[in-house]
Amino acid sequence: MNKKAKMTTWEKNQLFWGWLFIIPTMAGLIILNLYPIASTIYQSFCKTGDFGKGNVFVGFENYAQMFGDSVVWQSLWNTFKYAIIEVPFSICIALVLAVLLNRKMKGRSAYRAIFFLPMIAAPAAVAMVWRWLYNSQFGLLNNAFGLHVEWISNPKIAWICVGVIGVWSILGYNIVLFLSGLQEIPHDYYEAADIDGASGIQAFFNITVPLLSPTIFFVLITRVIGALQVFDLIYMVMETSNAALPKTQSIVYLFYQQSFDYGNKGYGSAIVMLLLAVILVITVFQMIGQKKWVHYE
Amino acid sequence: MMRKKLVSVLLTAAMCVSLTACGGGGGSSSSGDSGDSGSSGGGSSSDALQVVIWDNYQQPGIQEICDLFTEETGIKAKVEVKDWDSYWTLLEAGASGGDMPDVFWMHSNNSQIYMNNDMLLNLDEYIEKSDVINMDNYMPEVTELYTHNDSIYAIPKDYDTIALWYNKKMFDDEGLDYPDSTWTWDDFYDAAKKLTHDGKYGFAMNTTNEQDSYYNMIYSMGGTILTDDKKSGYDDPNTLKAMDFVGKVLKDCCPSATTMAETNTDALIQSGTVAMVTQGSWMVSGFKENNVMTENCDVAILPYDKETGVRASICNGLGWAAPANTDRADDSWALIEWFGSEEMQKKQAELGVTMSAFEGTSEAWVNYTDTFNLQPYLDITEESKDEGVTNELILRPYTYNSTRWTEQAKVDLVPAWNDPSKMEETCKQFAKTMNDLIASESN
Repeated sequence: MNKKAKMTTWEKNQLFWGWLFIIPTMAGLIILNLYPIASTIYQSFCKTGDFGKGNVFVGFENYAQMFGDSVVWQSLWNTFKYAIIEVPFSICIALVLAVLLNRKMKGRSAYRAIFFLPMIAAPAAVAMVWRWLYNSQFGLLNNAFGLHVEWISNPKIAWICVGVIGVWSILGYNIVLFLSGLQEIPHDYYEAADIDGASGIQAFFNITVPLLSPTIFFVLITRVIGALQVFDLIYMVMETSNAALPKTQSIVYLFYQQSFDYGNKGYGSAIVMLLLAVILVITVFQMIGQKKWVHYE
Repeated sequence: MMRKKLVSVLLTAAMCVSLTACGGGGGSSSSGDSGDSGSSGGGSSSDALQVVIWDNYQQPGIQEICDLFTEETGIKAKVEVKDWDSYWTLLEAGASGGDMPDVFWMHSNNSQIYMNNDMLLNLDEYIEKSDVINMDNYMPEVTELYTHNDSIYAIPKDYDTIALWYNKKMFDDEGLDYPDSTWTWDDFYDAAKKLTHDGKYGFAMNTTNEQDSYYNMIYSMGGTILTDDKKSGYDDPNTLKAMDFVGKVLKDCCPSATTMAETNTDALIQSGTVAMVTQGSWMVSGFKENNVMTENCDVAILPYDKETGVRASICNGLGWAAPANTDRADDSWALIEWFGSEEMQKKQAELGVTMSAFEGTSEAWVNYTDTFNLQPYLDITEESKDEGVTNELILRPYTYNSTRWTEQAKVDLVPAWNDPSKMEETCKQFAKTMNDLIASESN
């Protein structure tokens, strides 16, 4: 007996229209994402020729070189340091600001707009402005406060200063996500807490944070991934001759340098595969960890 | 329910990202189109030729020459400027993907790799048929840069030399004589040291632009960057001696390496913070836009070395090239031929864009402005009038893939710039790296 019964006309129709509707997305996904991913994986096993011609398969040679390359590990560590600054601070500050901006108050939309503004500015423009603020000779920071700090050239503090720019520029985005989450929380909880005599701070930690945890989780996941992929900030702010660069450059910066400055695409691809693996592992752990603290209704 | 929401938010976010990515791409391609219709008024059958260059300051002059071309032939040409780094990223991506600009600049750093991979249009046939272009008219050094297996792949555009810019006012304040052709590097050091005090500095050096900074000192003191058998010269004793001198200048006469890394040397001299910089002839049109420069600054020939008696300037030249796989080869050639013609080469010099590669046209460039004395840029190409001094033009050293080791030098030499006492070990270390890199070049 034939297990699969013949499809009815209705089912055929469903199938046809279903495929028709997802074709644009699928096409985009295959051309813009899947094919480049496959090609990057392949290239990471190659000694790439000039202009993408004449790739020679070399097996794990790039990976072997990478595991012995101290610059790669330093850059990976730099990337983590950046993420450690950017992710927790941008989330905590954004959360507090979002709660404050969620109250009824004068000029609320104006404040919301102001905090969101850095998101609208082009990252390159943001970086250029901060670069001048930080300039040790002519910068506003040093001149306004009479300091002589080498903000972005002292290897000890440059990574923090770059992280600060990252926090500043991502705040608005996090605030908007938190605001939308906050509006989902029914007001009754706060009234009940108020009657029970809970203070504002208690309400924040016992009502707002748990009920907002799905949104916080979402922001956390996306921000960790985003922070580990940081490139444009560092590329724009740090000159090649900057002494702090080796202690600040991120893994994607290194990928760019190898692939495009040095024309060594095979090695660059191997570096980016390492980043992919790192992000995968971290995200898996976060997914597992969420059971402990994320409350879905 | 919340989980579903999370998934939908994730999906939306992903879509937004891809949308902005597409939007970005669309925006950049359409901006070129709108620019075209803006300049031409629209309504023409053929698209404008896409001309891509990397120097902002040259854009107005090049565009003017392109407009004359349009008047003459009816073929439109639109000049676009990218910065140096993104220029080469764009060109390389274009070459890999088969979509390069119609006409573009070539540089000695990259010409070998492009010519060897057949990325550039072979111009031999066109040159043979042309009654405008005769390769004998151009500086042979520049022609050589763009010759591969006896074929020519770019028409020489210009050549450049290096000279010393100084701030007259700062010299006056200190009661010092202006730099002139009698200066040795020691005189230069003494003056620079005297000028360094109270937040003002004698000299500033852009360490990432080796061509207009330390290369000149190395060749003047008998050192080399690249030996004849394509080995690194960074461990050559004379190179090390010169680099030691560079370190001494950096330590005693320059702002901190940090300042020079954060603020480029042009800004430092334009703001009156430093008294001298060495700069290439391609910067003149840019400096002419700056008030401090036009009021206080002038140009002198580079100092020479007392022991060798050599005054050396690195020299380089750009070429106009077209892509090998183009369906508009004839139009592209017509424009390249136009740029290479005697008339337009002279025009380029008169407009002050740069010195031109066409021999005998440089006087026009020197005379284009009264603001600065540009003669020193030309003097170094001729025989020295000072006794016991020889002027040498050194073609910017290059190998098959020069970008690889010049970029690496920018990174690897940073410790020495920050701490000149590490100069010798850093240079010796880099010599090894550079030899390895040259050995691994695919040709």
